[in-house]
Amino acid sequence: MPTVVIASPKGGAGKSTAAILLGTELAHAGASVVMLDCDPNHSLTLWADRAPLPDRIKVLSNVTESDIVRTIKQHDTDGQIVVVDLEGVASRLVSRAISQADLVITPMRATTLDATIGVRALQLIAEEEEALDRKIPHAVVFTMTKAIRSKQHSGIAESLAAQGVDLINPPLMERAAFSALFEFGGNLRNMPAQGNMDGAIENAALFAQAVYKRLAEGG
Amino acid sequence: MSDGKAFNIDLGRLKSREKDRSPQAIEKAERAGEELGFVARDGQKRRGRKPSPRTGQVHAKVLPGVSEEIANEAKRRGVQQGVLIEEAWALYKEKSGI
Repeated sequence: MPTVVIASPKGGAGKSTAAILLGTELAHAGASVVMLDCDPNHSLTLWADRAPLPDRIKVLSNVTESDIVRTIKQHDTDGQIVVVDLEGVASRLVSRAISQADLVITPMRATTLDATIGVRALQLIAEEEEALDRKIPHAVVFTMTKAIRSKQHSGIAESLAAQGVDLINPPLMERAAFSALFEFGGNLRNMPAQGNMDGAIENAALFAQAVYKRLAEGG
Repeated sequence: MSDGKAFNIDLGRLKSREKDRSPQAIEKAERAGEELGFVARDGQKRRGRKPSPRTGQVHAKVLPGVSEEIANEAKRRGVQQGVLIEEAWALYKEKSGI
């Protein structure tokens, strides 16, 4: 089953939120998901400790540079999807994880700073593709977007699209329910209502569906 | 609030691609990353000998023959001279009832 690596050297881009939304939505749709917490801030583990994990989800904490390849290999088996949440720094751990990915997702806020730093992940993927002589599918998802799209957002999206970067649609909007995952744990379907829950669930499900489509096409 | 499945996953369509996990392949990926600043950031283990717990000092002058004997014995046993002084002190305490 595929390994999805969530990577961006920019902190606060929404990597852990994207990882949790993807993992919980894929699990809700019937897949078994193993989530690897490679972030020394332990964001995934904090979420996992808040409430019993949803069905079909397993979280492994403290995965480091020295055991990332072995851990992915161990869980990259029939019947489960591996989701890797990385720390927001440029590290060797990121290089190693990307080398084992079936799909790399780079969450990016629609700001110039995020785009400038986030693009380094795309450059790394390109370098690794050349070094390893294999295609590493990758895509960008905009995070914390507003209902009304800013000019900056449009400009960055157009620029990335012009460079052939695959943009995941829909973006992950700024939603109270997404940030509340770290308060209540679990998934969007079992947490106390936070703002527009139907909108949040639909947004997360469509995002996961867009990722699933890429995984299915790449298989 | 919606509780139904948003979509169904066809597990048969999800396949993992073959990846090279050899040390050589990982090294190639690392080299590509290092040029872009993706470097080792995990805490490195401290190398070399651990610091000695013997931080106390004595300031003793002894006769030349005695210092030579202590040095030779420490060398023979492969310990620091301080170890012999500690043992001598332990014997002295035992003998003196300290």
